[in-house]
Amino acid sequence: MNRTKWEPYVWLLPSIILVAVFVIFPILIVFRLSFSEISKSGVIGGFIGFQNYVDAINLPAFTTVMKNTFWWVVSVVGLSTVIGFIIALVLNQAFPGRKIARSILILPWATSLVIQASVWNYIIKYEYGNLNNILLNLGIISRAINWRSSYQIEFVWECFVGIFVTIPFVTFCVLSGLQSIDPSLYEAATVDGAGFWSKLKNVTLPLVKPSLTVSTVLNIIYVFNSFPIVYTMTKGAPANKTDTMITYLYMLSFYERKKGPATALSVIGFLILCVCASVYMIGVMRNEEAA
Amino acid sequence: MKKFIALLLSAVMMVSLAACASSAPAPAASEEAPAEEAASEEEAPAEEASAEEAAEASGDEITLDVIICQYGPNTNEWFLGSGMDGTNFVDKFESENPGVKLNLEVVSWNDVYTVVDTRIANNNAPDILNIDVFANYANDGLLMPVSEYCPEDLYNDFFPSFIEQSVIDDTVWAVPDLASARAMFYNVDMLEEVGVEVPTTWAELEDVSQAIIDYYDGEVYPWGIDMTTDEGQAAFAYYTWGNGGGFVDENGDWAVNTPENVEGIEFALGLIEKGFTNPNPATETRYDLQDMFAAGKMAMLIAPNQLPTYVADKGGDINMATAAIPANEGKTGSSVGVMDRVMAFKDDSAPDQEARNEAIGKFLKFFYDPENYVGWVSMEGFLPAVNSAVEALVASDPSFEAWLDVLASCKFYPAAKAEWDQVKQGVIAAEQEALTGADIQAELDKLQEELTQ
Repeated sequence: MNRTKWEPYVWLLPSIILVAVFVIFPILIVFRLSFSEISKSGVIGGFIGFQNYVDAINLPAFTTVMKNTFWWVVSVVGLSTVIGFIIALVLNQAFPGRKIARSILILPWATSLVIQASVWNYIIKYEYGNLNNILLNLGIISRAINWRSSYQIEFVWECFVGIFVTIPFVTFCVLSGLQSIDPSLYEAATVDGAGFWSKLKNVTLPLVKPSLTVSTVLNIIYVFNSFPIVYTMTKGAPANKTDTMITYLYMLSFYERKKGPATALSVIGFLILCVCASVYMIGVMRNEEAA
Repeated sequence: MKKFIALLLSAVMMVSLAACASSAPAPAASEEAPAEEAASEEEAPAEEASAEEAAEASGDEITLDVIICQYGPNTNEWFLGSGMDGTNFVDKFESENPGVKLNLEVVSWNDVYTVVDTRIANNNAPDILNIDVFANYANDGLLMPVSEYCPEDLYNDFFPSFIEQSVIDDTVWAVPDLASARAMFYNVDMLEEVGVEVPTTWAELEDVSQAIIDYYDGEVYPWGIDMTTDEGQAAFAYYTWGNGGGFVDENGDWAVNTPENVEGIEFALGLIEKGFTNPNPATETRYDLQDMFAAGKMAMLIAPNQLPTYVADKGGDINMATAAIPANEGKTGSSVGVMDRVMAFKDDSAPDQEARNEAIGKFLKFFYDPENYVGWVSMEGFLPAVNSAVEALVASDPSFEAWLDVLASCKFYPAAKAEWDQVKQGVIAAEQEALTGADIQAELDKLQEELTQ
């Protein structure tokens, strides 16, 4: 009898050690660093309280970067969820070539983000970009267009690429939810006279809600922490106006060598994500209780 | 049976975890072994010290951790592959210097600051580092003065003007490994076709640019400007030095917001506004500009001496020539020199400091030996930092001679000042703010205020 008490913990031990060494330990180090003085070359000094946090918040680019991060997460997660949901509905229908369409859809997700961002950089390039070439050859435009003429437009491109690479994940999450819906529910709804919108609202949405919640919360975390797209496309230029929090703290630490404020910012980011994850966990637990 | 397999798997996992954990701190542990403990081989328990560590501790063998920056596709091959006439730097060094082992790593420029800073934070700094900056490391007390490890004959071989760039408080903290010089390159055929002379002043540059725009109907960019996070400080140097300004005043104090500097940057911004340059200077790096030049889409640009090699590698066939960087009317322009360095970190825990210093000296002697160094510098298309290499380099490529003259007259960034990182990023940010409509005077005033606080 005793053996059954400790046995699960033995099996859990490898995972616990892995999580402790590679997740918890680094997090604790970053917390400690955020309260320490750190020299430009990375030498760790003594405890300085909340000074790094004060310095981080007073950085000239802080407000711009926080705003950018908000719009980056909201636009990428929001639009990719809506578009991914619609594509999932289409792919759930029976049509010739459905399997091929599903396979193609996964490509943007399976490709590395750095490659994706570099490819889009080439596509929208002014001088030899594919987009300008295609439009010029089709006779739609007579002169090449500068697709990156201002930082606002550059930021929109970054969000566009973010949405493009996130859609497949949402689609496949929703698709798995849609496939688990019993067809008899739709049949019953049809018999009751429900139309497309009515079925969508009263049958589909409530039943794919758990899948949507999972994909949304995971996406908030992934997108918030996403580094390659912004870094590859603009490196935050001009003057941090296209930076998000993650790219900014990297630039701050390794280009500007303000390592203290950079660690404080990473802790702030971690706490923001903790709040998001907690809201999700509470939501899921409530749903389970309700069920 | 299933339980047995699961148990076996978890055991394997645990062992691999343990291996991961022990492999990382091993070099640090051997470096930090106190001298008293390490001096006696018999006292050290056999299971605690490997044969290599024991040999090192007893003074028989010294292992130097070396970090080299990746200058091009050949760097790795030369140091670690077979790019040095079938062998490589590490093997050749170790065979000629028994008792000194090299733990050499080639790191890309994108990652090197991250790698070095992380190692410093973990008390695991390399013994020898090749990088561009040094002031932060010197100010944190991490570096050894060059006089402690560099053999005198080698020290006297360095160009004195290069050595001066690595001095803080009358102490030399690093030696130059190589340099490159910037000059204006132009497409000879294009300028001839348009029928214009090579510009020498800013006013001429504007006239020539307008003529190129008119002739090619805007299909060719007359001039290239890079104000990116990578190299925006170079743009600052080109236009402020060409107007009698610069990063510092005549006393060597920061002076970034002088009227000359503001006028210089405003001139560059004016070129962009008039459409004489590449359209997105905040995100188009010098490599993008060099690509445009190689593709015949850009007529003139400021570039390093390696541009002909770069263009040839890209398959470009451009009839190009060089000229002095245009300056404002009545002002003398100066070429911009860029220099990287080699420095040695302190390691107070090394058992035998003298032997360690001697080993570092051997590394430098071997690296700068013309037999090795000439191949290295010419392979990467750079300019040398020592006199002894000049003759052989000029013999192998006569075009080097002209560049050596340019190098002798060029100015360097004030990298020996502790605030250089801040100034470098500060002027880039000011330029980029100005590109989005901010007032350059106000931006530079802000930076100057931060520096004098």
